[in-house]
Amino acid sequence: MSINQLIFRNLRKNIRNYYLYVFALIFSVALYFAFVTLQYDPSMDEVEGGIKGAAAIRVGSILLIAIVTVFLIYANNLFIKRRSKEIGLLQLVGLTKGKIFQILSIENIMLYFGSMLIGIFLGFSSSKLIMMILIKILGVEETAVLRFSLEALIQTVIVFAGIYVVILLMNAIFIKRQRIISLFNRTSSREGKRRRVSIIEMIVGIIGLALIGLGYYLSTRLFGGEFMMMEQLFIVMVIILASVIIGSYLFYKGSVSFIFNLIRKKNAGYLTVNKVLSLSSIMFRMKSNSFLLTVITTISALAIGLLSLTYISYYSIEKNADSNIVHHFSIPNLEHAAQFTEALDEEQIEYTRTEIDLLNVNADISEIAGGLEDLNLKDEDLLAPMVVIPESFAEDIDLAENETLFVNNNHALQAFMSFKETGKITLAGKNNTVELNFIGLKDKNVLPMRLTNGGLPVAVVDDAVYQHLAKDAEASIQGEFSIHVGIDINDEREVKKADSIFQERGISEWAGHESRIEYVQLQKQILGIGLFVVGFLGVAFLITSGCILYFKQMDESEEEKGSYTILRKLGFTKEDLLNGIKVKQMINFGIPLLLGLCHSYFAVKSGWFFFGTELWTPMIIVMVLYTLLYSIFGMLSVLYSKRVISESL
Amino acid sequence: MNMLEAQKLHKSYGNKFNRQEVLKGIDIQVEKGEFVGIMGPSGSGKTTLLNVLSSIDRVSQGTIKIEGKEFTRMKDKQLAEFRKHHLGFIFQDYNLLDTLTVKENIMLPLTVKKVSKDKAQQLYKSIVNELGIADIGDKYPNEISGGQKQRTSAARAFVHQPSIIFADEPTGALDSKAASNLLNKLSDLNEKLEATIVMVTHDPLAASYCSRVVFIKDGQIFTHLNKGQEDRQSFFNDIIKTQGVLGGVQYEY
Repeated sequence: MSINQLIFRNLRKNIRNYYLYVFALIFSVALYFAFVTLQYDPSMDEVEGGIKGAAAIRVGSILLIAIVTVFLIYANNLFIKRRSKEIGLLQLVGLTKGKIFQILSIENIMLYFGSMLIGIFLGFSSSKLIMMILIKILGVEETAVLRFSLEALIQTVIVFAGIYVVILLMNAIFIKRQRIISLFNRTSSREGKRRRVSIIEMIVGIIGLALIGLGYYLSTRLFGGEFMMMEQLFIVMVIILASVIIGSYLFYKGSVSFIFNLIRKKNAGYLTVNKVLSLSSIMFRMKSNSFLLTVITTISALAIGLLSLTYISYYSIEKNADSNIVHHFSIPNLEHAAQFTEALDEEQIEYTRTEIDLLNVNADISEIAGGLEDLNLKDEDLLAPMVVIPESFAEDIDLAENETLFVNNNHALQAFMSFKETGKITLAGKNNTVELNFIGLKDKNVLPMRLTNGGLPVAVVDDAVYQHLAKDAEASIQGEFSIHVGIDINDEREVKKADSIFQERGISEWAGHESRIEYVQLQKQILGIGLFVVGFLGVAFLITSGCILYFKQMDESEEEKGSYTILRKLGFTKEDLLNGIKVKQMINFGIPLLLGLCHSYFAVKSGWFFFGTELWTPMIIVMVLYTLLYSIFGMLSVLYSKRVISESL
Repeated sequence: MNMLEAQKLHKSYGNKFNRQEVLKGIDIQVEKGEFVGIMGPSGSGKTTLLNVLSSIDRVSQGTIKIEGKEFTRMKDKQLAEFRKHHLGFIFQDYNLLDTLTVKENIMLPLTVKKVSKDKAQQLYKSIVNELGIADIGDKYPNEISGGQKQRTSAARAFVHQPSIIFADEPTGALDSKAASNLLNKLSDLNEKLEATIVMVTHDPLAASYCSRVVFIKDGQIFTHLNKGQEDRQSFFNDIIKTQGVLGGVQYEY
């Protein structure tokens, strides 16, 4: 048999074994190619429209390269180890290491570049689909055209050829280091070490848990008002990251085996099959796998966290718009408002008009503002002009003469400046000052954010007090707008039509004149591209980490084949073993996932209010989706083990 | 009373065109409390016979009864159930689970049978005392010697008091001292507990511990040797002689 035949036979046999590796390779190439195609697509220019879409995609593609490289190198390492016996045999029959390297390289070239071609083809054909998804997310009216980009092709080929060279190097090193005898021992030597669960391990585990706890605790305090300065925030964030990551590592290193060992001790030797297959086998692998598991946990946490945050912001666009722009159209000018309503009348669009006078008053809120002590603000800094409105404008609020209530509450502001439950504030007119009892915040928006002095709350006062303040108004602090006209279209279906009038008549060009629907579209474009990039990276993260775990499990089931044989001879049925494997995979895949979910939950919880107004729905959607996709890999591993179990007797 | 009764066992591998017949109609009976050795040259079908008798492999033809129960036509699941209650195994390469301690390994068959925990501890204690491995219960297989491993394996085979124990070259990987130690223990247990043991071996010395030796050649029974009232040394000589007649090769390693 010539070398060429050998290569071909090996390849044929291996493709069946490595179908997931090939799949992962094809997938990575397809993803990368689609991504780069997008980057070079001329129709993207319009989508980008000054929102740095290309930059986002470029950053995404670099991250993608990093993930794919690590993943492919890892997968290759695993597979070459599995073939060490074959390599040893070839050496034994007299092939030189150089020749073996050549065989492996040629084999790899075919496997690798074959999948790359398929990947590029798939990437090309799916780029239209991806483009359509992007356009849908962005809410832009644009048609996707299928376009083959030569630059994208060249870039993809260069990048993957680079990765291939790295893989070749790794293989060369692996082959060079091996001796025939060690090649044969490879699989058996791994279990050779003494395994004792020591006190040190226990301490390590406890430290790990404590570090994770510390990280979580700090994350809940991060935006709680204690850390105000940028540098402080940054330091605390780094501490959180470090303690959580190191904590997870130590947790895997120590706690898991420690906890499992306790369970085993309690059973005093009486282990059921589920425990035999799950506890004992995981226990001993957990320690050596701890680095890998930490990486997977961190990657999952990162992916879930980023996905949740971007999805939160995307999901909250409409709600944000509702609170930022209270009415469908907001026109702080009587003349323009009249112009607009006339046009609406012409088109016979029914609407409701709300008019609010805007009065700015110097307010001293030092007594009720919390969390500002660290900023070393002087008292006069807290004397901010505030918009005051009479209670009659704010529905369902009824105040006594000496009371006031804040509306237009801004969540992001609250992270830095919290208000006490009650207290006194002073509103200063030109000559007189009024002291009022602050009775709390109300979660309600009356004015568009644009008109409230940069997101400060709006004070609601009794009508009489308002009249008094209005007469005494200080002219110098009155803002550029003195009135706000809000227009709501009665029939939701006609909002779009009204918006086109709003745009055509040039009303939208004036400062502070806002249309909610326009705002939503703009936001969708900005956040959509983020969501798109993060979404694709998230999927890449998910698939690579899932594949790595799957490969690992494949390897483990092969190694445990002997145990399966023994157990079946002892009278355990296939089903017994399979149930044990299910428990094992649940733990193996579940622990990194659970820890990752937990990490990302705390990460998202600490800062979500900067991104949107809705925490639970988008976060849970992301988490459930991620968990579902992730568990596919768990199921694949169970299926693989099932095959190994059936073959074991 | 016959503990094991096999009739006209046939086993062949391969397909219609290329059939390799390994067992050609073997009849074998083992009585309760007997210690039977199966000997024969390489390729004679010893291990296949043992696998078939112990339900790990299926016969092509023939019936096997253990304690009067026939299992040749059982489904996989029933077979597993059957093995769990009636059979114990000792193998040449010990077949211990690396990830379990000695104690956990020995107690495995008890958990398969769902014996109560107290009873399990009790059974465990009595068997490890018998085999002299009580002090290594918390060690892992890679921390103990070959002889200890094989005694652990034996303890696992005996602990649930199966109807019959199958041993496949149990002394194959042991040095002579560990081997004779193990064989002494096996014949002790055979006498004390009235355990029925079927052992496949190459080694005439190991076979001389048995009460009866069955010789196989080319898938058929060649002859039987009964120990009767002889002492071990003369039985050993008989075995050597028979082996000489059986094949050109006396020692195969």
